Amino acid sequence: MWQRIGKEIRTMPWGVWVLAALMVFGLSVALYRLYAGLAVTTNLSDAYPWGLWIGFDLFVVAFSGGAFTLAAIVYIFQMHEFHPAVRPTVLTGLVGYGSVLVILVMDLGRWDRFYHFAIFPNINSALFEVSWCILLYTLVLISEFSPVVCQKFGWERLGCLMKKITLPLVIVGVTLSTLHQSSLGSLFVVMSERLHPLWYTPFIPVMFFVSSVAAGLAMVIGGATVSRWVFKRTLPRNLVAELGWFLPWVLGFYLIMKIGELLAAGELGLLVANDFYSTLFLAELAIGVVAPLVLFSFAAIRRSRNWALFGAILVLLGVFINRFAVTWWALKPIDGAFYFPSWQEIAIQVGVLSGAVLVYTLVGRYLPLFEGTVDVERAARIAQVLPAPQPASD
Amino acid sequence: MTSHAILIDLTQCVGCHFCEAACQANKGLPADTQLVTLRFNEFTGEDGAFDQGMGRKQCMHCVKPACASACTVGALRKTADGPVVYDAARCIGCRYCMYACPFQVPTFQWDRTLGLINKCDMCADRIAAGEQPACAAACPTGAILFGERDALLEEARQRIVKAPDRYVHYIYGEREAGGTSVLYLSDTPFAELGFPEVGYESPAHANEEVMHATPTVAAGMMLALTGIYWTVKRRNELMHRHPVEFEVEEAEHVAENR
Repeated sequence: MWQRIGKEIRTMPWGVWVLAALMVFGLSVALYRLYAGLAVTTNLSDAYPWGLWIGFDLFVVAFSGGAFTLAAIVYIFQMHEFHPAVRPTVLTGLVGYGSVLVILVMDLGRWDRFYHFAIFPNINSALFEVSWCILLYTLVLISEFSPVVCQKFGWERLGCLMKKITLPLVIVGVTLSTLHQSSLGSLFVVMSERLHPLWYTPFIPVMFFVSSVAAGLAMVIGGATVSRWVFKRTLPRNLVAELGWFLPWVLGFYLIMKIGELLAAGELGLLVANDFYSTLFLAELAIGVVAPLVLFSFAAIRRSRNWALFGAILVLLGVFINRFAVTWWALKPIDGAFYFPSWQEIAIQVGVLSGAVLVYTLVGRYLPLFEGTVDVERAARIAQVLPAPQPASD
Repeated sequence: MTSHAILIDLTQCVGCHFCEAACQANKGLPADTQLVTLRFNEFTGEDGAFDQGMGRKQCMHCVKPACASACTVGALRKTADGPVVYDAARCIGCRYCMYACPFQVPTFQWDRTLGLINKCDMCADRIAAGEQPACAAACPTGAILFGERDALLEEARQRIVKAPDRYVHYIYGEREAGGTSVLYLSDTPFAELGFPEVGYESPAHANEEVMHATPTVAAGMMLALTGIYWTVKRRNELMHRHPVEFEVEEAEHVAENR
């Protein structure tokens, strides 16, 4: 037993050690932050009470939206061909939400009272709703992922039980996701005096929801290519292509909403103001919406693993810009105030994200994560035996 | 119970900072923490001449406070008495109120290990005991009036009518963010004194409209998901799917899609 563990540790790829080192360093800084308070360890101030951490929370939750999107596609719309993508995506969501929960505790002034959201409810507060939904949804994700653990350790009866309640779990999970993806946007509805009008709209919850669907799909698509490099296991190419087919529709809907909202509010003029905000807004739309919309409209690009990854990165970059705009860049500046994260804020963020990637990598190594996916090496062997596929004659 | 308010006539303010000192003493605040701040402003007036005036910042005690609407744990609350009070024992230090406040009033105890929010509560304990807030009691010129909100609004209007040349014809706080329980009169345009321009609707309204849609969205989503599930399932059953020979097909499929 110990010999085997020792051997596993010796044969671990060097990347794992880098991730572990970053995680340990980040978590040490995190402990120091809990001990020393926010003034010593962060550049947050009364002018910028939120910073890097909240921006990343919003971004990570957005791309973790792949888990509920895919669950809806596979279990509600019953497109079972996408089933092989479910396990890796649920795990992405799980480590994503886990990292968000850790960072949220870092951000609280009274982190020792984190449980107060459960005993002192304010139903008008978006943050109250977000806290509850994220907690409950993390439990749903753990349940959705539990069959993988049960399979590994041979707990068949528990695994079967969890599989039997999959459908209700998915319905509750998708509903909770809809609620908190949108209510993360609702956080900003009350900030009408603070957020730049290009981003401010009472419909921001709907926009957050739609962009989380796009970011979630992009994460699955891009993740398939990365997983091919890292784990030598990946989703079949036609599945990635079919998932990519959804993107232009989602992005198109998002684009119409973004422009339509400006039109309805009579704020189109702000687009040509040619200042920092108009440039940022146009960059967000061009990089994250229009460019991938065009790219994923081409079947050849959807089928190319590298191009699909490129397109997916564009979508994620767009959502990244959007989430950081509403928490940082597009907030009304206050005289003489400037914010840039401190090295401690960055170290903690990098540490927690490294921890998330590390957990994902280890689970991918030891648990049956990739059932039904393509084993790249096995597929290469099969390709040598079988004749090359003939082009369709029509 | 009457809804109390404070009216500050800035034309009578001499900038002695007694209100700040009285507030700090009454609340026992550390030297670097103030719940009310006077700020001396110098600027160029409309006629191009040099001008100056006293600005002031403290919690506006909104009639419909956005901070109370936003607070995760309900630590902020508008009382029938007038003040917006803060329950430090509930606060988790999430700082959402600081973003929600249209006047950017709440500040945070950054240098504490376990930080909380700083905010004026109009001396709610003194009001309950039948006294004036500490700042109003300390003002030597009577620039800070404490009373009932409607009566103070009437007083403010009377002052403008009686001395129309002395005042800007505007009561700051009458309608800002849906109306506030701290009101200002001035002889200088408010924007020059650092008072933010704020819309006339409380941000709490839009927030609560959106948040109250939550149960509808949740119920609708669950119904829709269940409905879609049954519809798709039924359609698939009607299509009588037959199992097909997968063996070779799958191998080809795998080779092609690597």
